[in-house]
Amino acid sequence: MTGLGTLARLALRRNRWFYLAWILGMAAVAPATAAAYETIVGPLGGTGALDLLAGNPTMRAMLGPPYDLTSPGPFTVWRVGTFMATVAGIMAVLGVVRVSRADEEEGRTELLRSGVVGRHAPLTAAVLVGLAACAVLGLLVAAGMVAAGEPVQGSVAFGAGSALVPAVFVGVGAVTAQVTSSARAARGLGLAVLGAAYLLRAVADAAPDGSATRALAWLSPVQWMALVHPYGDERWWVLLLPATLTALLVAAAFALEARRDHGAGLWAVRAGRDRAAPSLLSVGGLVRRLQRGSLLGWLVGLGVFALGMGSLSGSFDTMLEQIPVLETMLRRLGQGAEQLVDAFFVALLGVVAVLVAVLAVQLWQRLAAEEHRGHAELLLATAVPRARLATAYLVVAAVGSTAASALFGALLGLPESLSQGDVAPMLGSLGGALVLAPGALLVLGIAVLLHGWLPRLAWLVWAVVGWSLFMVWVGSLLGLPDWLVRLTPWAVLPALPVEEMDWAPVLSVTAAALVLMALGVWGYSRRDLRLP
Amino acid sequence: MAVIEIHDLVKRFGSTVALDGLDLTVAAGEVHGFLGPNGAGKSTTIRVLLGLLRADSGTARLLGGDPWADAAQLHRRLAYVPGDVNLWPGLTGGEVIDLLGRLRGGLDERRRAELLERFDLDPTRRGSTYSKGNRQKVALVAALASDVELLLLDEPTAGLDPLMEAQFREVVREDRVDGRAVLLSSHILSEVERLCDRVSIIRAGRVVESGTLAELRHLTRTQVRAEFASPVPAALAALPGVHDAVVHDRTFSAQVEDAALGDLLSRLAPLGVRSLTSTPPTLEELFLRHYDRTGTGTTRP
Repeated sequence: MTGLGTLARLALRRNRWFYLAWILGMAAVAPATAAAYETIVGPLGGTGALDLLAGNPTMRAMLGPPYDLTSPGPFTVWRVGTFMATVAGIMAVLGVVRVSRADEEEGRTELLRSGVVGRHAPLTAAVLVGLAACAVLGLLVAAGMVAAGEPVQGSVAFGAGSALVPAVFVGVGAVTAQVTSSARAARGLGLAVLGAAYLLRAVADAAPDGSATRALAWLSPVQWMALVHPYGDERWWVLLLPATLTALLVAAAFALEARRDHGAGLWAVRAGRDRAAPSLLSVGGLVRRLQRGSLLGWLVGLGVFALGMGSLSGSFDTMLEQIPVLETMLRRLGQGAEQLVDAFFVALLGVVAVLVAVLAVQLWQRLAAEEHRGHAELLLATAVPRARLATAYLVVAAVGSTAASALFGALLGLPESLSQGDVAPMLGSLGGALVLAPGALLVLGIAVLLHGWLPRLAWLVWAVVGWSLFMVWVGSLLGLPDWLVRLTPWAVLPALPVEEMDWAPVLSVTAAALVLMALGVWGYSRRDLRLP
Repeated sequence: MAVIEIHDLVKRFGSTVALDGLDLTVAAGEVHGFLGPNGAGKSTTIRVLLGLLRADSGTARLLGGDPWADAAQLHRRLAYVPGDVNLWPGLTGGEVIDLLGRLRGGLDERRRAELLERFDLDPTRRGSTYSKGNRQKVALVAALASDVELLLLDEPTAGLDPLMEAQFREVVREDRVDGRAVLLSSHILSEVERLCDRVSIIRAGRVVESGTLAELRHLTRTQVRAEFASPVPAALAALPGVHDAVVHDRTFSAQVEDAALGDLLSRLAPLGVRSLTSTPPTLEELFLRHYDRTGTGTTRP
């Protein structure tokens, strides 16, 4: 462990903005939701209706089962707690892989290891910084809830759970970083584990009361914070589950690291072709090959999510008959839909539209990474013009994200179509998803423009994405002013089928996106290449 | 006709001046050594020539065209090997060679196979599993197997072992016979000495010396060591054109300007020379002198 202090400080310094942005974004959500409790519950005419809503399988699948909705604290745990813990898990996986495997892959760790640094010191530093970030998140959540006027004991339980659930995924990231030799694969594997955990608890929580399936939720780490029942009976012993699992995973990561060579993973890299396939022999072919993995991962993830949500939507109609007052709440989310199912679809499509923008920006920003790694230099020293290289990435990002929208929309309506024997619901949700796709293109346009002219400020596009995600997820629930909630690239687009189809905003947002892209590619052709 | 003509080139990165009025000419069919310490501006010069960076002022012509405006067309006629080759981790060496060759406009199949053999490179391994030297070989095979007029090689042998370095020299020598021009940046002096027709020495963004090896040696001194039958008169050390003289009883050593050699030898002969060695300066010494050169342009005494 020699050199650990120095390494930990280095990791902290190099990743402070990464962690700070994640932590502040997440920590604000819980107190804000608690403070808005009256605004949310008031229109429902009391908590009785809320109980019925929360008991609905779809809502349970998305947010987990509620245990007490009569006060702001436990309501917040139900409404945003599990979701926040899951998002914190993303931070944990990305953060640990970033400091451990990514640095090793880029050769930075080798430089450090050649100094007076113990074999496990770099991984320990990565884990410690990741755990510290989780602890800070937990502290901020607890402090924020106390500041919002909630009981201290419950807030401490909530904060501890919010720190320990992502801590498990610090361990998961540390293990996957040992298994694969590429950071990309380690991230993918870690996030797949997180996605599986979320899916497992969605399936478990959607099951009827008394069903044995419900117990499966205990196997999903993302559910453990809520299972503590903060502000309820506070089952502190549940916190031992994430604490123990984290310790086991970190120990496993160290054991695995001791068994492998520096730079290698546990999965041996297989030999490949000695000649390139004809499909690889162009810039477009190369970019498609490089992006294939992450695009497929997204498509599978979104597809499973769409089918899951779509198959649960039928239960809404029965519930609507039971409690008409629910319409008020879901209409606020769903922009005033007549049918509750429509409102649900509209709300969901709004969130997924922003996720699709994340995909688009991620696919595009691979170009920046290619410059940073010196791959772009190799390509641009051949007869490839800058504009062609940029356009190849742009096409994959634009087509890939639009295809993701279409896939999500189609699969969301598919179960409903199958049960009704009518293609209309599927076409409806497909259309609803596709008219929102230009919003992702506009965000992509902003990313391209920044990359072409102000590559140092490329991160600004994530601020747009983060803002939009916050607004569509909780903006309307928090009762924020309408103009503020509508300050996103998607707000001007028609929310089908609730609103009338209107081609003018769809076409003008698309046109604006194309203009930004063209300007960005032009700027990229004119500036110095960023070199390793 | 010159394949590279650079005049008064300036490139700044913020407040750092990377190239400070650089002049460089490489003739067709010439192997030109581009010699300088780390950070002198070698890679920046090559990247300006490739149109990856835009010069702030000065002119640069490459194969008769503008390296910035005509970049893509010009790149069909040249091949480049960067100093630090990074490959895509998931692509095999063979795939990268084929891809870069195709993007450059075509690859000589027979030569590809021959070079793989000569460099002892396994094309089925993936980028993430190659060592630095093997990554460099991938880029070298891709460049050398292309039918181009000009090779831009940025410290191409930095990761190669001596055996592979020898292979590399041999291939470049064969290429010279074909009339292919090469700009070879290096701080491995023996490599430049063995390969290059002409050399430009760059320091702090300027070319401080340029010429054939013979011309450059002309500017330098010969190391003379001699042993005598009788004690050496101290006056020898004071002769004009004799530097760093060390007189120790019956031995004498000094660095002597070429013009002063004749005079010195005629004075040594009567002393009864027992042994005499004179060594021409290596590029190492040339290089050290320029490396130590201060900003005022004076050389080390």
